Amino acid sequence: MNLKSYLDLYELLKNDVSSREERRAFGLSYGLGKSPLDQVITWTSRYYKKLKSPLLSETFSSYMYGVTMTLVIIAFFLGVFSGITLLSYNGHEPVNVVYFMAMVIVLPLFTMLLTVLSMIRSQSAQSILVHISPAYWLEKMLGLLPNAMQKSIETFKINPLLSNWIVIKRSQLLAIFFSLGLLLSLLAVVATKDIAFAWSTTLQITPEVLHRYLNLLAFPWREFIPTAVPSLELIEQSQYFRLGDSLSDEMIHNASKLGEWWRFLVFATLFYALFLRFVLYLVSLLGYHLALQKSLMGLEGVNTLLRDMNEPIISTHALHVEKISSAVQKNIQHIQKLDTSYDVVQGWAIPLSKLTVVIDSMEVITPNIFEVGGGNTLEEDSEIVHKSFGEVLLYVKAWEPPTMDFLDYLEILLESVDKVIVCPIGTEEESYKAKAKWVDIWVQKLSLLHNKKLWVKI
Amino acid sequence: MGQDMMKKHPRFAVVGHPNKGKSSIVSALALDDTVQISDIPGTTNKQRSFPLKVDGKILYELIDTPGFQRARRVLAWLEKHDVSADKKHDVVQMFITEHRGDSQFNDELELLEPIMQGAGIIYVVDASKPYGKEYEAEMEVLRWTGQPSMALINHIEETDYSSEWKRALGQYFKMVRTFNPMTTNIEQHVSILESMAQLKEEWIAPVKESIKLFERYQEQRIEESSQVITQLIYDALSHVEELSLSEEETTTDEKERLEEQYKQYLRKLEIATQKKIEKIWNHDNLQKKQTFLTFKNLDLFSEESASVFGLTRKELLITGATSGAITGAGIDLLFAGHTLLLGGTIGALVGGAGAYFGFNELSEIKVMGQLLGKRYLQMGPMKNRNFSYIILGRALFHTSSIATRSHAIRSVAELSMENAFKEKWLDDSLRTSLEKYHKKFRSLDEINNETLKEYETLIKNILFKLIRH
Repeated sequence: MNLKSYLDLYELLKNDVSSREERRAFGLSYGLGKSPLDQVITWTSRYYKKLKSPLLSETFSSYMYGVTMTLVIIAFFLGVFSGITLLSYNGHEPVNVVYFMAMVIVLPLFTMLLTVLSMIRSQSAQSILVHISPAYWLEKMLGLLPNAMQKSIETFKINPLLSNWIVIKRSQLLAIFFSLGLLLSLLAVVATKDIAFAWSTTLQITPEVLHRYLNLLAFPWREFIPTAVPSLELIEQSQYFRLGDSLSDEMIHNASKLGEWWRFLVFATLFYALFLRFVLYLVSLLGYHLALQKSLMGLEGVNTLLRDMNEPIISTHALHVEKISSAVQKNIQHIQKLDTSYDVVQGWAIPLSKLTVVIDSMEVITPNIFEVGGGNTLEEDSEIVHKSFGEVLLYVKAWEPPTMDFLDYLEILLESVDKVIVCPIGTEEESYKAKAKWVDIWVQKLSLLHNKKLWVKI
Repeated sequence: MGQDMMKKHPRFAVVGHPNKGKSSIVSALALDDTVQISDIPGTTNKQRSFPLKVDGKILYELIDTPGFQRARRVLAWLEKHDVSADKKHDVVQMFITEHRGDSQFNDELELLEPIMQGAGIIYVVDASKPYGKEYEAEMEVLRWTGQPSMALINHIEETDYSSEWKRALGQYFKMVRTFNPMTTNIEQHVSILESMAQLKEEWIAPVKESIKLFERYQEQRIEESSQVITQLIYDALSHVEELSLSEEETTTDEKERLEEQYKQYLRKLEIATQKKIEKIWNHDNLQKKQTFLTFKNLDLFSEESASVFGLTRKELLITGATSGAITGAGIDLLFAGHTLLLGGTIGALVGGAGAYFGFNELSEIKVMGQLLGKRYLQMGPMKNRNFSYIILGRALFHTSSIATRSHAIRSVAELSMENAFKEKWLDDSLRTSLEKYHKKFRSLDEINNETLKEYETLIKNILFKLIRH
């Protein structure tokens, strides 16, 4: 897992490259038994080819590499120049080792402390400690330079946690190269010049006290390389006082020994500025890796991706979209009031006993009453048609929509008689009054017959 | 047909007289709102399959069919063949073969074919209307198929003729169940599936498996909804709206424009979330009252919204004080109580007062970027504590309404506000838990995945409570 995986995944999720079915199929084929992180990484490595070139990860990595390389070179030369400046010897005054010690011991320890604090506070989006890092500001300054690559990545918002760890990691790298520059300049100056090192301070520090401190500082290497620890004698001999603007006789007498400080300075640089920094760099690599994991799993859409991979796709809906039925007609002759008598009265699927009640309640007189449809056979219905004549009042249950069975019968009936009035009725509880919405359905259906003998009571 | 005959999963053909609610029942059982439901008979003229699929594997299949149109004619044809009971199935098959392509029997063929291919019969009747003899031809035709069957009594209207229907149906079907597709819930749904499983012994296991998956499907959708609601709350509370300034001085018009933009963003966010929720619950075709969508009568920022969904000033005061006290208590703890619990007290007072006086304020409008020359107005993140409860309450109300709405209902959804809704899901301890997260969302700090997951779990629990109980 690396930054490329993170950026590829970001782009894949943003472009929504796979369907839910594809994700589930992938989960079943490759994801079983894997951790969520592994599933996501495997999915990314399989799908990143679907992304259009140039990939954001390539652009971003190229930009990061460019910026890091530039900053590393700057830091290295800054280290070299700082070292040369600190070690510049004009031949009159010795070089004060305190400055160099401050640069290779105090400053690294202080910045490492800040680094540790910024690591602890890396969760915060607006971590001051991260934002005061030279690496952060140098990058900002580089950003002011015209750069086509930067434009293509400016829409991308990197996770603040990851961004903080990128700065922390890069700061450690820059510090290492800065210290390498210092070390190189120290070795170069020592090799090419005869430098007299001395120490000088306004503070009331006796050579004994300084010896104790230096001995303490040299604890990592004093057992193995005792010559790299300044002796009390050397410390005493190299104490320099500005008063009188001249070197003491003792210093001049021991001039050859004053250069011995360089071993201590080299080891102090190696241990404090380089070794400890390298350890911190390793810690930052670990932190960066964890932040990358966390950011990767925190990307918008990752939870959905994992759910799609691991949850079965359950569907209940139809496979095909249903065609909507066509518009309806309402063009039929209608009456609003029944006549008092009809030649024949029929009830479609209405038993004779009920039909008689309906006829009475509607005050209709007729000599011929028949039940049709319902439990009748087709032959029985046919016989009734033969018996029918003149004007036929045909009662139907309004709530039962007209079936083709009814329409078949009606068509045959219409051929045999002069007029058929279809009268939809409601239930007994509704006092046989049909609801308008049911009558409307009958009107729509009967309109399809286009028969002039056909009427509807509405 | 040979291949179809070999289908191993249970299949159920929903059949019956026209307009008795077959499609409504299929729609409710298949959780599909694309089924055409109409008062006009003959809306369904082709059989339509609704499979319950898990990763592409069909566990069971519901088949919506057209209603019987010429049942008496079919029966007359069948009865012409005087055969023993074991041959009746073959006669029906002969009818299908002989009349294939005959438009006269299109609907009968559409409904008989799946049955003859092994589907169980679910015969639907409407018991809000009286029983009639015309149904007997249909039931007799179904009996000729020899397939396992059950009757499902639907109530389209209020009136009840179920006792006469039960007596009649009992003559033809071993099992008669009542099911209202308009008011069904998951328990009734599962109960019907269990009955369907009883039709054939070999269907019991797959249908039981389907029931388990069906319940898991419900959970999945609740989880997805929780995720969507969590994102809504986070986006709404953390959103920052900006407006570039052209002049040195900020005008009232610019401030108003920014505020309107900010509100508009939140409204759009809510609408988009509602769409997502409706899609999750297969209600893509849902029609809602326009007023709900546009907040014409119930504006997101109106006092009415605040009182229905948000917290009252008193509740807000308590929540603010509790949240402040927790922060203050942390300070007390840090100093091992040497602060004489002043931290907690001051925290409670500050939190409570801030919440009380900020009741009507949304967020500050600030002029940004003065030093860098490029000036712009900024509004957000949300400062109003009540807003989070208003938008969350609305989202929960919408989700629970959609989740419990039957797919058979085609009328316009009137998602009317209930004053008592807040009491259904929000109590003091939940309010304190939610406030902790709302506070984080309102800060501009990066919110990690775990925090969002924790909030999602809270929402999921609320939704479970609202939807399942």
